[in-house]
Amino acid sequence: MLSSQLLCRGFAALILVLFTLPAGAQSFMVQCPSTTPLHPAAISNSNLAVPLTEAAEPAYQGPMVTNATVGGVALTYTLNGGAVKCQEISGGDGYMTEADGNQTFMFAFGPLSGTDLIQHGQPGTLFAADFNNYYNSPTLPSVCGPAAPASCASAGAAGITGTNITDPTYNPARATSVNGAITDPATIMTVGVMNGNIPAPLFAFDEDDEFFLTLSNVGMIMRPDLFETHTVHFHGYPNASSFYDGVPDASWAINISASATYYYLAPDAGTYFWHCHITPPEHLQMGMVGQLYVRPRQNRVPAGTSLYTASTTWYQQDLRTACLDSGNSNGTITPDILCSTPQPAINTGFTHAAGYKYAYDDGDGSTRYDIDVPVQIHGFDPNFHFVGMTFNPEGFADMKDKYFLLNGRSYPDTVTPGAIGTEDSDGRTRFSQPLPTLITLDSHGGPGGTGQRALLRIADLDVTEYQTLASLGIPMKLVGFNAKLLRDQAGNNLYVTTNSITLGGGESLDVILDSTGIAPGTYFLYTPNLDHLSNDAENFGGLMTEVVVK
Amino acid sequence: MNHMNENTKSVPAGLVCAPMVAALALLFTGTAQAAVPGITGTGTAGTFNLVATQGHITQPDGASIYSWGYGCAAGSSPSFVPYSTGAFCPAMQVPAPTLVVTENVPFTVTLTNKLPAAVGNTSLLFPGLTLVSVSGGVPGLLTQEAAPGGAVTYTLLATTPGTHDYLSGTQTDLQVEMGLYGAVVVRPATRPAACSAIGNDVAQRLGAGNPGVDYRLAPSAYDHAATCYDREYLTQWMELDPAIHRAAEAQIQAIASCSATPASPCPTVLDVNTGSYHPAYFLINGRSMPDNMDASYAPNYPNQPYNANPHMHPGDQVLVRIVGQGHWQHPFHEHGNHVRILARDGNLILSQTDAAKLGGRMEFNTDTTPGQAEDGIFYWSGKGLGWDIYGHTPGNAGNPACIPDANGYYTTASGASASSPNYYEWCADHNHPLETNPVGSVASGGPATLFDPLVATNGLWYNGTPYLGPQAVTRSRGPTPLPPAGALQNPPAESGIAFMWHSHNEREITTNDVFPGGMLMMMLVDPPVWYIDETL
Repeated sequence: MLSSQLLCRGFAALILVLFTLPAGAQSFMVQCPSTTPLHPAAISNSNLAVPLTEAAEPAYQGPMVTNATVGGVALTYTLNGGAVKCQEISGGDGYMTEADGNQTFMFAFGPLSGTDLIQHGQPGTLFAADFNNYYNSPTLPSVCGPAAPASCASAGAAGITGTNITDPTYNPARATSVNGAITDPATIMTVGVMNGNIPAPLFAFDEDDEFFLTLSNVGMIMRPDLFETHTVHFHGYPNASSFYDGVPDASWAINISASATYYYLAPDAGTYFWHCHITPPEHLQMGMVGQLYVRPRQNRVPAGTSLYTASTTWYQQDLRTACLDSGNSNGTITPDILCSTPQPAINTGFTHAAGYKYAYDDGDGSTRYDIDVPVQIHGFDPNFHFVGMTFNPEGFADMKDKYFLLNGRSYPDTVTPGAIGTEDSDGRTRFSQPLPTLITLDSHGGPGGTGQRALLRIADLDVTEYQTLASLGIPMKLVGFNAKLLRDQAGNNLYVTTNSITLGGGESLDVILDSTGIAPGTYFLYTPNLDHLSNDAENFGGLMTEVVVK
Repeated sequence: MNHMNENTKSVPAGLVCAPMVAALALLFTGTAQAAVPGITGTGTAGTFNLVATQGHITQPDGASIYSWGYGCAAGSSPSFVPYSTGAFCPAMQVPAPTLVVTENVPFTVTLTNKLPAAVGNTSLLFPGLTLVSVSGGVPGLLTQEAAPGGAVTYTLLATTPGTHDYLSGTQTDLQVEMGLYGAVVVRPATRPAACSAIGNDVAQRLGAGNPGVDYRLAPSAYDHAATCYDREYLTQWMELDPAIHRAAEAQIQAIASCSATPASPCPTVLDVNTGSYHPAYFLINGRSMPDNMDASYAPNYPNQPYNANPHMHPGDQVLVRIVGQGHWQHPFHEHGNHVRILARDGNLILSQTDAAKLGGRMEFNTDTTPGQAEDGIFYWSGKGLGWDIYGHTPGNAGNPACIPDANGYYTTASGASASSPNYYEWCADHNHPLETNPVGSVASGGPATLFDPLVATNGLWYNGTPYLGPQAVTRSRGPTPLPPAGALQNPPAESGIAFMWHSHNEREITTNDVFPGGMLMMMLVDPPVWYIDETL
């Protein structure tokens, strides 16, 4: 009896050990390895005051087979460049301000790394060296402080608005770091609570990067009755992993006061987006929606490289991305019916120059652009948000959006520069709408005096109805759809020149606006769903923004 | 299911508890899959005898909804495809029987109107098919109609393969809403030489000594070598406004029981307001989630025989036939991968410069549009994950080989046995660890540190690990009864990996205000060792 008890207890203990081994000592756990088996060489930053940009990515020169010893075992990896990139977000709640002044409660994600970049409308994704240069500043981010844009520091009640929160972990001996990850559990809570943004923090990285996304669930302080878990769904990823797909029914969801890290090798280049997948009609309507784009390998080819050569001799020779239908060394290939990007039918002779950016690995330069413009289309139903802030049940069948949002703002807020803050229940104003959608193009500022081109990376996360966005004066060139270049299997580009595009919830596409030959002036992107040009009761505003051509 | 927990705040507990219990009971009735069940006509030419009658359909909140539907006429003896075990065709079903016909072979459909007399005439439209001739019936606006108690016969010809809807052509705003709609599948006249007579996946199962059966309606979707497929699913997307159904039923009863006086004559026709359309149910193949994941022909749905529960093996080329019905568009989001659109309304989309190549888009959201059908190919292989989906470790006894074929997969082309447990593995990631720490007998050294399992909530379709298949699950954490214990939607012997396929206008994944429900199904990628029995 004794021995069986011992055995039983021992077994239980063993199981406990087995299952607690991978866990750290605490429930908040932020991770970002400097190196991995695929990327064994760390990339350092000699000037930590300025985060590395994609210019620090190693050059892409085709697939290279490398040998690595992992866990004592000899393995073979195929490296196409790339780096380790990391980001950290909170899942919780927050407030935003509608264009008619209505203060609106959200379930929302907020930044816990790259906080300064996010506040300035930039992607918050960092190289490991910058992410691991942990946050260090006398005050905590998110709350509007002296350095914040004017619109973020507006006056509020009780005389404490704009008052910063002192960072108890601040170490004066270390250099200030306003973008590094926040890893101290107490600080995660202090910053994360009421930290919600709309849109959620922007992710942007490069094809072949390994992306580590840590989600810390800080709970929803305005809804203490809820025990909401949160997840991240990487919407549109080809050959996705179920484990990291964010669908709670198919995998797992992270509880309050804990972190989990999503891991993905970046997929094919394109415009994706992300959102929470818990009770989607509720959590998406309430604001847990963000943007994500993957830059193509083609951005990283050495200057002077023929893009056609890069496509045929590098890109199409990597089996993961190949669209070939002729034989290779292993025999006759069956064309992958869902391969990323076929090589172009025509060699345009396009040569890469330093600084050129493309939407896709097009092999012909046809998706080259100058300015990235993430555009998120969304809609808020104020009744649903109000009910969601109280302790009442929400109805789904009666959901009706009354605010129509571009990057979390309605016109005219869409053209207000800088972050917009909203005063929260503690009297502090936190920035919650970091992203204006004012597009400025120089009609002679592109290569060789051509007009600048804006790449509109448009995603629709509305949960109730289809929305159309039209361009008044500048034609739209639709080059990508659902994170794939518009090209047939024979390599012909199937771009569409149009003045409007229509998306349902959960769809994305890529549009290029070319300012070449466009007369200087102000142009508009607006919705021809005319009832969406409103801000609730105001018969003005809604889904509209400006394109300024100089 | 943590989704279920959310209901407690969305709806008062008393209201939600009964349907939740009912839904849970249904959830645990076991796994089921189905190809594209339908009927072929009798005789070589193919004669279909349909009848339109009234009846009720059920919804997972317990609602029984008065509806009209097409079914098989009494005495007709349709042939069921691709299997007949347990199959039935009642006198009224929603959606209507899926008619399976062949390209360039004329067929006839006789429709008998046994709807209540107050409904008036009814008829059939076959968009995209050629109406060769009509006999019987009475003239109508769009087509020849069957008067109450009468019949009409249409002779039709499909000149291209593919998928189409068919629906009532009489007072369509009301009659289609009430349930008078269905789908036609047109098989290609010839089998492209490149498409195997028996599906790759079936061949593999036969090789494994399993009772492999070919559940495809044809080896290819079109007369084209780029349209071969291994497995297929048909989904019809339709909203339902219960107020319209209640009004129709009430008026029919009132008319039937009305005793006229000279001062107040009885109404003789329906006057149902369809203008203030406000759907509360969102149906795939006539059912809401979770009902749609019960088996096709399950006895608890006598008037909704078709399910929507896709399963597949890695690498299977899966033909998805998507039909929009009703009033609204729905953004159908396929988790897991894109869909290559092959065709719209039976029109194959090819490259303008090379007819051997496809020209359709690749989409992760395939919009369903009323009256429109799309065919596409989906697959999932795990290509490019960067880690071994089977959790292979070289040091383990019996660790299988992975020899890449020309496409990089382990298949018979590269020497795999048809019964290989890692058939169609993406070899570039073979043996590559995911996890930083060792787990079970899965080696360490990978890039990712997993979360503490004590601080996560697990789903009903979660196999408890990042990996695919029972061997991999045993290798890593063991077939652990993680909560919720006994997730029978994906039992340990199956240990598939699940992806949600659903409407991304997310409020449509609800059933009359209750989440989850509506236009939602779970797609499972099953390991090669798990036999996907589509007759269940």
